[in-house]
Amino acid sequence: MTTQTKFWNPYLAGLALGAVLLASFLVAGHGLGASGASYRLGVTALDAIAPAHVAANEYMAGVKEHGLRDWLVFEVLGVFLGGVVAAYTAGRLRPGVIKGAGVSTGRRLAFALGGGVLMGIAARLARGCTSGQALSGGAVLSAGSWIFMLMVFAGGYALAYFVRRQWR
Amino acid sequence: MNGFFFPLGIGAGEIGLVTAVLIGFGFGFVLERAGFGRADKLAAQFYLHDMTVFKVMFTAIVTAMLGLVVAGELGLANVAELSRAIASETFLWPMLAGGFLLGMGFIISGYCPGTSVVATASGHLDGVMTVAGVVAGSLIYGEIQPAAAAFHTSGARGSLYLYELAGVPAWVVALAVTAMAIGLFFGAEKVEKIFRAKRAVSAERPEDVRAERRTMRRAFGTLGAAAAMMLTAAALPVSATTAPAKTAEPIAAHALAARLLDEPWNLRVLDVRDREACAEARVPGAECVPADDLAGLGLRYAAGARDLAIVGGEDESVPAEALAYPGKVYRLDGGFAAWKAYALTAPEIPEADAGADAREDYKLRAAIHAALTGAAAAAPPPAPAQVYVPSAPKKKAGGCS
Repeated sequence: MTTQTKFWNPYLAGLALGAVLLASFLVAGHGLGASGASYRLGVTALDAIAPAHVAANEYMAGVKEHGLRDWLVFEVLGVFLGGVVAAYTAGRLRPGVIKGAGVSTGRRLAFALGGGVLMGIAARLARGCTSGQALSGGAVLSAGSWIFMLMVFAGGYALAYFVRRQWR
Repeated sequence: MNGFFFPLGIGAGEIGLVTAVLIGFGFGFVLERAGFGRADKLAAQFYLHDMTVFKVMFTAIVTAMLGLVVAGELGLANVAELSRAIASETFLWPMLAGGFLLGMGFIISGYCPGTSVVATASGHLDGVMTVAGVVAGSLIYGEIQPAAAAFHTSGARGSLYLYELAGVPAWVVALAVTAMAIGLFFGAEKVEKIFRAKRAVSAERPEDVRAERRTMRRAFGTLGAAAAMMLTAAALPVSATTAPAKTAEPIAAHALAARLLDEPWNLRVLDVRDREACAEARVPGAECVPADDLAGLGLRYAAGARDLAIVGGEDESVPAEALAYPGKVYRLDGGFAAWKAYALTAPEIPEADAGADAREDYKLRAAIHAALTGAAAAAPPPAPAQVYVPSAPKKKAGGCS
C-alpha cells in the first residue's frame, strides 16, 4: 500500500455516481441517503438503554416499527463496504486524521464531532442530507431539495473563512 | 408501478435489502474514488481552489435527471410516482434553515453525513467522529422534536417540482439545468485556476498574503450576494404560489335556475343567511346553514365531486370555510334578492313581436316560476307571432297525369 491510485476525474466520477443514483431510482425505487440511517442507528441504540424514554417520544417511537431492518440502513452498510474496498484497492486505507498543519489533532476531532452534531440536527430538520435531499431530490427536480442544496452551499461559504485554519 | 423497471427495494423484504447493500456499495466506492473520503478535499470546495465536490455532484444530478427523464419518455418508468417515493415533500422554512445549518456543519467537520461514512471506511478518525456526531445530532433533534414540530412542518408546499413552478414539461427544466451545469463547470474551472495560482504565490511571498485576503473577501462577498440572489429567486415563485387565492365564481340567478332544473344532482346549494330568513324562502334544495355553522359541515374534507353554490343575503362575501371546499364554488350573484326577483316573480309576457330569444327566455322563466312557486298552471304561453311567410308557388305536377 505504498502507491496510491489517483482520484478519478471529477466529471467521470460524477457520471459514475449519476449511474449509481439512476440505478437506485429505477431498480430500487429509492433515492440514495445517509443521515436517515444514522438516526435509526441512534434511536435503536437509545431504545436498548432507555426503552420507556423512546416510547414516550412519538417522533422516535415511529422508527421502531422495523428498526434497523430498513432500506437506508442496509444501503449505508453498503456505502461502508464500498468505501473500504475502494480505499484498500487504491492504497488509501490507513488510520489517521485529515487536517492542516495549523490545527491540533484534538481540536480537529472536536470540530469533526461538533460539525457532525450540527449536521445531524440539520438533516432531521430538513428531512434529509446532501445525499437524500440535494443529490436524490435534486435529480428528480424537487423544489425543496434545490432550496436545500443552495442553502448548504450558502452555509458552507458563509462560515468557511472563519474555520480556514483547520485546513492549512 | 407502471413501466419496464420494477422497483425491488421498497419495503424491508430480503431482495430489497440485498439491493440496498449493492447500490450502497457502488455509492461508497465511487465517493471514495472521487476523493470524498478526505475532509481536506471536500472542504476545498469552500475555498475555491478545488471544486471537485461541485463538479461530481452536479454531473451526478444531471446524469440521473436526464436518465430518469428519458426512461419516463420511453415509458420505462413512472416518473411521477418515482419522484414522490424519492423526494420528500417541500417544507420551505425547515429546508432553508436545515440547509444552512448543514452547510455550516459541513465546513466545520469537513464531511457531510454520507462522506463521513466513507472517511470512516478509509480509516480516518475525524470521519469516525463526524459519524458519531451525526448520530448524536439526530438524537438531539429527536429530543427537541415535540418543541420543533410546528417549525418542522412550516411552509408546507406538498410534493412540488421545479417544472411545476415553471409551468413547463419536466424535460425543458432538465435541459435548462443541464445547460446551467455546463456553464457552471466552465466557471468552476476558471475559478479553480485563479485560486490555485494565488495559493502558490502567497506561500512564497508574505506581502501577497494581504492581497490574497482582499481577494478572498471579495470572492466571498460576491458568493454571498449571488447566494442571496439565488435564494430570492428560488423563494419568490414559491411564495407566489403559497395561497392559491381561491375565489367563488359568481353565478347569475337564471344560470343557477337552469342548473337546478337540468342537473340538480351535480349541485349542492347552501343558504348562509339567517336561519329564519332561509326557512321563510330559499332556493329549492338549499340547505339552511348560517355562515357561523359552516365549519360543522366539514366542507374542506368533502370529496368535492359536486359543485357548491353559496346563497347569501346582501353581504356577498363567501365564508372562508366554504372556499376551502375542494370542488368548484359558486356564489349567487346578487344574493337571495336576485333569486327572488328572477325565479319567484312571474315573468311578463313578451310582446307579440318580441324576438325568438325573448320568447325562449319567457318560456324558461315561466317554467321555472311554475315549478318553483307551485303555480297550478304555468303562465299562459304568448300568442304565436304573426309573421308573414309568403307561401311558395305551387309546383305544377309533372310526369303522367
